[in-house]
Amino acid sequence: MLFSSVPFLFYFLPAVMIVYFAVPDKFKNAVLLVFSLVFYAWGEPKYVFLMLFSIVSGYIFGLLIEKYRGKQASGIFLVISVIISLGVLCYFKYADFFISNINRVTFISIPLLRITLPIGISFYIFQIISYNIDVYRKCVPACKNIVNFGAYVALFPQLIAGPIVRFKDINIDLVSRKHKLDMAAVGIARFCTGLGKKVLIANSFGQLCEIFKVSGEKSVLFYWIYAVSFTLQIYYDFSGYSDMAIGLGSIFGFHFPENFNYPYISKNITEFWRRWHISLSSWFRDYVYIPLGGNRVSRKRWILNVCVVWMLTGFWHGAGWQFIMWGALYAVLLIIEKMFAGKFFARIPSFVSHVYVMFFVIIGFVLFNSDGIGGAFYDITAMFGARGLPVITAETVYYLKSFFVMFIIGIIGSTPLIKYISDRLRNGRMRKAYALLYPLILCLIVVLVTAYLVDGSFNPFLYFRF
Amino acid sequence: MSNRAYNIYTVIVVSILFLSISLACLFSPEKDYSESERRALAGFPSVSLQTLANGQFMNEFTDYSLDQFPLRDGFRRIKAVSQYNVFRFRDNNGIYISDGHAAKIVYPLKDDSVINAADKFGKIYDMYLSENDNKIVASVVPDKGYFLGEKSGYLSMDYNKLENIFADNMPFAEYVSIYETLSIEDYYCTDTHWRQDRILDTALRIADALDVDINEEYTIKEATDEFFGVYYSQSALPLEPDRINYVTSDSIEGAAVYNYENGSTGGVYNFDKLQSKDPYEFFLSGACALMTIDSPSSDNDKNLVIFRDSYASSIIPYFIGAYSKITLVDTRYIEPSLLSEYVDFSNCDVLFLYSTMVLNESSVLR
Repeated sequence: MLFSSVPFLFYFLPAVMIVYFAVPDKFKNAVLLVFSLVFYAWGEPKYVFLMLFSIVSGYIFGLLIEKYRGKQASGIFLVISVIISLGVLCYFKYADFFISNINRVTFISIPLLRITLPIGISFYIFQIISYNIDVYRKCVPACKNIVNFGAYVALFPQLIAGPIVRFKDINIDLVSRKHKLDMAAVGIARFCTGLGKKVLIANSFGQLCEIFKVSGEKSVLFYWIYAVSFTLQIYYDFSGYSDMAIGLGSIFGFHFPENFNYPYISKNITEFWRRWHISLSSWFRDYVYIPLGGNRVSRKRWILNVCVVWMLTGFWHGAGWQFIMWGALYAVLLIIEKMFAGKFFARIPSFVSHVYVMFFVIIGFVLFNSDGIGGAFYDITAMFGARGLPVITAETVYYLKSFFVMFIIGIIGSTPLIKYISDRLRNGRMRKAYALLYPLILCLIVVLVTAYLVDGSFNPFLYFRF
Repeated sequence: MSNRAYNIYTVIVVSILFLSISLACLFSPEKDYSESERRALAGFPSVSLQTLANGQFMNEFTDYSLDQFPLRDGFRRIKAVSQYNVFRFRDNNGIYISDGHAAKIVYPLKDDSVINAADKFGKIYDMYLSENDNKIVASVVPDKGYFLGEKSGYLSMDYNKLENIFADNMPFAEYVSIYETLSIEDYYCTDTHWRQDRILDTALRIADALDVDINEEYTIKEATDEFFGVYYSQSALPLEPDRINYVTSDSIEGAAVYNYENGSTGGVYNFDKLQSKDPYEFFLSGACALMTIDSPSSDNDKNLVIFRDSYASSIIPYFIGAYSKITLVDTRYIEPSLLSEYVDFSNCDVLFLYSTMVLNESSVLR
């Protein structure tokens, strides 16, 4: 089930809210667990059993790791738990990638498994891995209550698209959280904002990307428009979803970590990754990069560590070489920044460094959204006029004009300007009017989102008469 | 307003909105049919272990929740208005408004599709017409984009190129261009079709090519002043209704229309259809695979066979006085190889009259 869908917004969400706030505190996690499983089953019913298996596995190994803490068995149980989790992830997400590459290299033809990817598997598997490692590291006690642990893993607000919440972040909330009015109000505002970002902005840019893909009149400028559109789409899509997750978590009394912090205002790639998908980059830092030795190793080993971490980061996003190359691109940029260009970026005008970041971010997302290395090479070379395409076509001009306001909204909205103005209004002389109007603006967003969702189902018979 | 009051206010206002919509979703009466989309709406899906396990229930419930959404057309209008007036998109679902007309973007020109249509008509020629000495005429009806698109800065295909491709690939027919006989005022504002009371010049151009005389005393009458065409619903924007006028004459009033699909006989104009989902079906009762018009008052024994789409329904009445029998074939709904059972192609004129929209999406033709 998607947050940005009518079944979620007007059937599931009200139902879970009513039941959740109606039951006593001791049953609230059970309510969340049951509704989360229903939420998950809505998209792919059979994979509920995979999730239940993952929950039980992670729970038991957490207990075993703690029970044998200080003994060799604890480490063995940790290794087994990580192998099981990664095994599940590899089988369901990467099996066909490995098979097709083996086939390509060895010229044999092992049949592909063609497994449907379980929704959110990359997120909840990483949560379980981090939990078992944290128990091993004594960062958190093992969770004794399987309902609480199940609620942690399956918690529907962050189940499908993160943020990757670590057990230590919400351990206390799981046991004794308070439901405060201010958290509910903030959560509602955050949820509605995220919903608007996803449905009104991200989906519009998604529509433009689809138009581009089927266009028979591509041009150099159209390629750039597509590249910028996808860059904005993925930001609003992902950060909108994170906003909704954090908002829902807040309504239920949880404190989820932030996942995005205006990444497109970054002045170097290092800063970009401190602002983009924060929960993922910090996960790889804490559970891969630092265990590999981090930067407290020889320069060669450090370069290797960076390359491994970022190629894995890319690979986490999808089972394809384009994702690995996308991660590798960032590894190279980060190594260059750390080794040679750090002081240089400190001296150049911020506008120039900003252009540098966005150039590589945009190129990176074209690579990310391609259908393979060959497709990425074609797309990127087409952006620089190497494919003999016209610079501009009538179709390019039309869609540039048609989406012009959306581009303005998208670009301005990716900076802190709106937040800055909002904060000024909230705390300034117009705070009373702001307080009165802001909830109404949230309602307006919900109505608009509903209108866009409902119109998405408009499906006339195009050839009915003419 | 204190922080606490503000928080209470926020929670209550937004919660009431969500709950109101939820309750409306739950308790709104179900509808079977969407007038605006001209399709059946999804009903509540059947629940069983099987449909739950294979996800069918969930998929069908999603369709149901969208199809049965309360005030669905109202929400669609909100989207359309915000799309145009807030986000300043140039079109909504491919429909745009220009000069008070709602029109659809027909773009780009699909050369292969036009050639495919001509090839299909060529096969009809080979099957039925090559052995006879028929007068064969072909013509293309431009959609509204021809008049509005380029002028208003919307994507507009090369209509002249379409004509040329079509004419070049129909060597067995005399191509007659009717573009110059038409203007945007000759079309309904809210619909894709042309207005019958405005296309006499076009009919005369085609009649001239067919070498027949269609001049007689026509009277224009009003059928309805509340016609909301197909683009009215698709644009979801507030537009003024059109007026359907129709022309009549002695020969038109005396004609009998036989519908092969349902075996019924009726008049040229079907007044019952004015209350139907598509009032344009007023002309010749709408889409039909095969029909004939017998004209007892015609003073000759000439026959006309017309291969056509829906645009022909409103122009064909002009030809009733010139032919004793007109056969209308819509190959979107009938296999051409079956026509030998119903149509006599000897000693008849033949007209291929298709709109640019069908020629550009000719996979709908059989």
